Amino acid sequence: MVERVRKGQVVSRRVVLRALGVFGVSAVFVPFVLGTPGPALGQGNLGALQPEEKVDATLTRLFGNRSIKDGSNVMKLDIPLIAENGALVPITVEVQAPMTPSIFVNHIYIVSDKNRRPMNARFSLTPEMGVAVIGTTLRLGGTTDVRAIAEMSDGTLLIAKREVKVTIGGCGG
Amino acid sequence: MAEIGKVRIRIPPTIKRGDAVRVRSLVIHPMEIVQRKDGKPIDKNYHFIQKVIVAYNGREILQAETTQSISENPFFTFSFKATEPGTLTITFLDTHGGQYEGTADIRFS
Amino acid sequence: MTRSIPLAGVVILLAALLAVTYAQTEKAGTANQPLTPWVSRATPEGKGEMATLPDGKKVQVRYKGPPFGALAGRDFGQWPTYAYGDTRTFPPVSQVKMPAIQGDPKEGRKLFMDRAKGPCTGCHLIQGDDVWPAGSIGPDLSTYGDRSLPDQFVFNLIYDARLYFPNTSMPPWGTAGIFTAEEVVHILAFLKTQKGNPPFVLPPEKDPARNPFTRKLEYYFGDNLDPTYNPAVLLAEGAMTLWSKTGPAGKACADCHAGGPETALKGLATRYPKHVGKYGRILSIEDLLTVHAPETTGMAMLAQSAENLTMTILIKMQSNGMPVNVDVTSPEAKAAYERGKAQYFKRVGERNHACADCHQNAPGKGADKFLGGRLLGDAEKGFTKHFPTWRTNFQVVWDIRKRMQWCMTPLGMNYLAADAPEYADLELYVTSFDNGKPMSVPGIRH
Repeated sequence: MVERVRKGQVVSRRVVLRALGVFGVSAVFVPFVLGTPGPALGQGNLGALQPEEKVDATLTRLFGNRSIKDGSNVMKLDIPLIAENGALVPITVEVQAPMTPSIFVNHIYIVSDKNRRPMNARFSLTPEMGVAVIGTTLRLGGTTDVRAIAEMSDGTLLIAKREVKVTIGGCGG
Repeated sequence: MAEIGKVRIRIPPTIKRGDAVRVRSLVIHPMEIVQRKDGKPIDKNYHFIQKVIVAYNGREILQAETTQSISENPFFTFSFKATEPGTLTITFLDTHGGQYEGTADIRFS
Repeated sequence: MTRSIPLAGVVILLAALLAVTYAQTEKAGTANQPLTPWVSRATPEGKGEMATLPDGKKVQVRYKGPPFGALAGRDFGQWPTYAYGDTRTFPPVSQVKMPAIQGDPKEGRKLFMDRAKGPCTGCHLIQGDDVWPAGSIGPDLSTYGDRSLPDQFVFNLIYDARLYFPNTSMPPWGTAGIFTAEEVVHILAFLKTQKGNPPFVLPPEKDPARNPFTRKLEYYFGDNLDPTYNPAVLLAEGAMTLWSKTGPAGKACADCHAGGPETALKGLATRYPKHVGKYGRILSIEDLLTVHAPETTGMAMLAQSAENLTMTILIKMQSNGMPVNVDVTSPEAKAAYERGKAQYFKRVGERNHACADCHQNAPGKGADKFLGGRLLGDAEKGFTKHFPTWRTNFQVVWDIRKRMQWCMTPLGMNYLAADAPEYADLELYVTSFDNGKPMSVPGIRH
């Protein structure tokens, strides 16, 4: 097992181009990056961020009025019940579903209801993964429901969610 | 942060063909959060990782579009079935044009 | 060969022995007297110096980022500190007559939960779905109103609990001036509303996490020595550059410590903090670097600097898995241990707290109980062997000195310099409880 670390390595152009375009077979094209970063001096990338909105608006924006089925019997959502701080909350999502060219988990969305910008990440998977397991660490603004929404290649939507209570100290820490 | 872009990848010590391999990665990055003034967000060029690309033997198998709701020095994990030996590459792209990469060689035992 | 030793010779010998003994006593200092004052070699914020504002007010210059930043400008200069020369004590118990005003329970509840004051919920549970997260150090007050205690008694208890419980952990809120007498009346009025139905009977708890007596915290930060969980491990790799770097004096650490850290420093950190005769005080690894690095390589390694913390982690990692083995029996170490122990029980700050109030496992003390949402460590179980630690809340490394500096800051004490001998003696005392336990540095914590 060899681990190599290269900083600033130019990634193959083909890989990057594929990544920046529409990815995989998806029933609906969901725009993620809403704008383009401002090139002018002083103009930032605020416009390109996920919008500040209530979670219902996020879900409508992402999925319209498509039905989102309860996925708790096929989805494992691993996230602490009580988070000692909101800065680092680990989440792992496993979808026990096939990963074959004909049917596979295409996207997994992570949404945190009470964050100002509830849309936190979108993972795009391929059948080559063979299994659908992804995870990361989240920043939560406070106690909130965290949702994992899996979108199958045929458009089926499944959801699992849990409340994470973000805790705080008793006297300043 | 002098160390921005430093990457570490971990894979299991022994892997058999067809195993679901759990991969873990850490990248040093500020994942700068939105600042506010008088309750309004400030428009500036926030520095955060917005895309993660995982490729195996040059083929992209997973990507993530990420936001400032991912922690500083972000951790990513995923599993994939290794059907052939090869090189796993994880590339992190940030909003300031930064491209950081880590690799791991997958060999079967 | 002479059979008898001349009397004069005996007298001279005795005098010499006495002189040496006296000199050593002078040098070691008595139990709570300061040694020759130590000049701090910490970063400016690490020193915690006092600055004078244009209006003449004095404030301590503290670290800028969170959590210290929230208390910028708050000066606690009037309250006792750990400094050996500081012989001040907290004001004596005071008792005032309860003001004859109408107590407002709603105002009282606000005050009870006000994070700028206590919050009282830091130690006490009360009723309410919005109560998050209450602590369990103090008694559950959810049905306090059913106890029908006399008003003046409860008033006195809140105003200055020392009146009834001399060794209480409860801060003397009134005597300290944190709550006014009128505010205490409102809190009292609120507490009287905390009743069951029937008396002492509450509806079943809907959420076991809300109640600190049933709450469970799971550890989820991963293996502290795995660089994909702990950024401190990844960042410590940068220390090797520092190790090989030639300083202004023309030498690098590598030049004297042959074979690399894993050979030259193996097991070293298990013996720190220790008394170092050359400096006449207890030094931790962090303290040692502040003097040793410049003396040998010419490089400064100020306490709380990135170089110091990174190098400390590198040095301590070489002892990972090896048992902590600090000396507490030699005369100097024993004296320092006793001084450290006295510090551990010394009451300081605006809240009149000692380390023991949070970290001792005893009735009314906080070990293994919740302070708000934080589960407090038991000092006697040992809680030092993972320092320096990564702090996930701030995404930075904290050594144990910064941890000590922070402990008492929100509790109303101006901190001492990070490399202060007072903190070193205290560190020796608490580290002794880890003797025999394997080191694992850097840690990872909230």
